[in-house]
Amino acid sequence: MVIERELETIDVSFNVGPQHPATHGVFRMVLTVDGELVVDLEPVIGYLHRGAEKLSENCDYRQAIGFQDRTEYLSQFNAEQCYCIAVEKLMGLEVPERAEYIRVILTELNRIASHLMFMGAFSADLGIFGTLFMYAFRERERMQELFEEISGDRMMYSYFRVGGLAWDVPEDFLERTRWVLKETRQGIADIDGLLTQNEILLARSRGIGAMSAEQAIDWGFSGPMLRASGVRHDLRRAEPYSIYDRLEFDIPVGDNGDVYDRYIVRLEEMRQSARIVEQCLDQMPKDGPIVAPGLKRVLRPPAGELYMRTENPRGEYGCYLVSKGADKPYRLKIRSPSFCHLSALRDMIVGHYMADAVIILGSVDIVLCEVDR
Amino acid sequence: MSAAEERREPGAKGAPIVPPPPGSIADKFKEVLPDVEFEASQGVLDVVLIVLRQDIPRVMRAAKDDPRLAFDYLRCLSGIDQMEQGLEVAYNLYSFKHAHNVTIKTVLPADDPQVPTVTTVWNGALWHEREAHEMFGIVFQGHPDLRPLLLEEELGYYPLLKSHPLAEIEESQEDFLREEAPVAAASVAGAPPAPVDEKAAKIALAQKKAEVMKKAREEARAKGLSPEDEKAFVQEALKALEEGK
Repeated sequence: MVIERELETIDVSFNVGPQHPATHGVFRMVLTVDGELVVDLEPVIGYLHRGAEKLSENCDYRQAIGFQDRTEYLSQFNAEQCYCIAVEKLMGLEVPERAEYIRVILTELNRIASHLMFMGAFSADLGIFGTLFMYAFRERERMQELFEEISGDRMMYSYFRVGGLAWDVPEDFLERTRWVLKETRQGIADIDGLLTQNEILLARSRGIGAMSAEQAIDWGFSGPMLRASGVRHDLRRAEPYSIYDRLEFDIPVGDNGDVYDRYIVRLEEMRQSARIVEQCLDQMPKDGPIVAPGLKRVLRPPAGELYMRTENPRGEYGCYLVSKGADKPYRLKIRSPSFCHLSALRDMIVGHYMADAVIILGSVDIVLCEVDR
Repeated sequence: MSAAEERREPGAKGAPIVPPPPGSIADKFKEVLPDVEFEASQGVLDVVLIVLRQDIPRVMRAAKDDPRLAFDYLRCLSGIDQMEQGLEVAYNLYSFKHAHNVTIKTVLPADDPQVPTVTTVWNGALWHEREAHEMFGIVFQGHPDLRPLLLEEELGYYPLLKSHPLAEIEESQEDFLREEAPVAAASVAGAPPAPVDEKAAKIALAQKKAEVMKKAREEARAKGLSPEDEKAFVQEALKALEEGK
C-alpha cells in the first residue's frame, strides 16, 4: 500500500561566519534555507569596527592618513589618494607634476594588485583551489616588493602626503616598474587563459547574482559592480581628478550584471590599469619637486567642507571632510564602496542555492575593514 | 521659521558663503520646486542646498523623479555634529543621466534629531541611515529597521557626537585602577599630598614663556634693534623670567 502524503519541511536558519573562510574576513550571514534554496539572508557586520572616523577627528591632518591604509587594506594607495586630495582641495594646494605621476602609477599598480587578490580568492570560492591562487599571488608579490621598497612597509604604506609624497622614489623606479609591469602583463594573460574559459567558472557564475542597471544604481553600487551591470561610469573619466584627463584608457562594461561579468570587468580593468601605468612611465618628468612648496609643519585648512570621491578598485571611495580651520579634521566620513554593495547582498543572493551564495559574496570583492571602518 | 533662521550661523567659523554661479543646479531645484525654501551656496566641489527638514521628503522625491533633476544615485549620507548649531545630515546625490552633482543638507535641533527617511527614494540609504542613527542618534522617521549596524546593541551612547570624547587610556583601564587604588592608599601613612598636575604646569610654563618672548620681541622691534641684538634681548628676557621664578 502506498500512502501519498506531502513531506513536511521547515525553513532552517543558521550562521555562516563570523569566522568562516568563505566570508573573506570577519563577517556573518544569517541564512534561512529551504533545503538548498536560500529564502532569506541577513548580513551582519561590525566585527571590525575600530572607529576610524572618530580617531581621525582626534589626529591632525597628516596623522589621519594612517587610518586610510587601515581602512582599505587592499588598495591603500587609492584610499590615501582620496583623503589627500580632499585636504588639498580644501587648502587649494597644487601638487607637483612628478608627484601626481608617481601617485597615479602607484594607485594603478595597487588596483592591479587588488584585482589579483580578487582573482585568487574568487577562484578558491569557485572551487579551483591552489593553482590560480598561487598564480595571482606570485604576480601580487612582485608589486608588494616594489611598494615595500618605496614606502618601507608591506601593507600600511602611509606614503602619500597632503601636497605630495613622503619622499622620492628610488633611482631605479622606472626600470623596476617597467619590469614589474611586463611580468604582470604575462601574469594577467596566464590568469585569463586559465580561468576565462574554465568550465567551472562558466558553469557556476553565468546568470548568478545578477543585478540590473536600475537596481545597481538604486542600491548605490559603484566601480566594477556597477560597470558589470552595463553602466559605463568611471570617476576617472566622469569627474577626472589628478592627471586622469591626460591618460587614455577604456572603461570595460558587462551585459548582465552577473558574477561572470564582474569577473570579466575586473580582468579587463587590470589590462587598462597596465596601459595607464605605461603612459605615466613615458610622460613622467625625470626630476622635480615631490611636495608642494611652502607647506607648514601643522596643516590648518580653511573652514569648509567637501565630499571628495575617487575610483578605487572596489568602487567609489569617498571622504566627507569638514574643516573648522583647526589642525584636526572636524568630521571625516568615509564612504566605502563595499559597505553599499553588502547592503544589497540580500537582493543578490535570495532565490539562489546555498553554494552560489558563497560565489556571489566572493564576486562583491569585499574588504571588511573598509565596510566596518 | 525660515531656512536661514533655522540653520547655523554661516560666518561663525569663518567659512565664507559663495553664491552658486547662475544656471547651476540650484536654479533647477528652484524651478522644479518654486514653493520650497532653499539656501544655496557653492561648496568646494558641489553646490550645497540647505533645506528645512520637513521639506526633505518632497525635495528628495522630486530630485529623483523630475526629469530635469534625475538624481538617481545616492552617493553618500553623512551625519555631522555641529554642537550648538545642532546636527546636520548631508546627502550627496549624483545623476547618471545629466552627470551633475548636488549636496543637500538639513539641520536638526540637537534635542529633537528627527528627519524623515529617504529609504523610500533610494534603497542605498538603508544602511547609511542605520549608521547615522547609531553614531549620532538621528532618528530617521519611517526607516524600516534602525537596529545598530556596526556597534553592539544597547550601547547607551552615540560615539560620533562631540559630547562623547575619546577616552583617555587610563580611563579604559578603570577596573584595573579601581583594584589598585585601595592598596596604594593603605600604604601611604597620613593624608596623601595634593596631586600635582605636571602636564598642566608644563603647559602653563610654556605659555608664560611664549608670552614673554612675544613681548620682548615687540619691544626690541619698537627700539629698532638688529636681528642679532633682538635675539639677545629675547634671551635676556627669558633668563630674567627663569631667575625671577
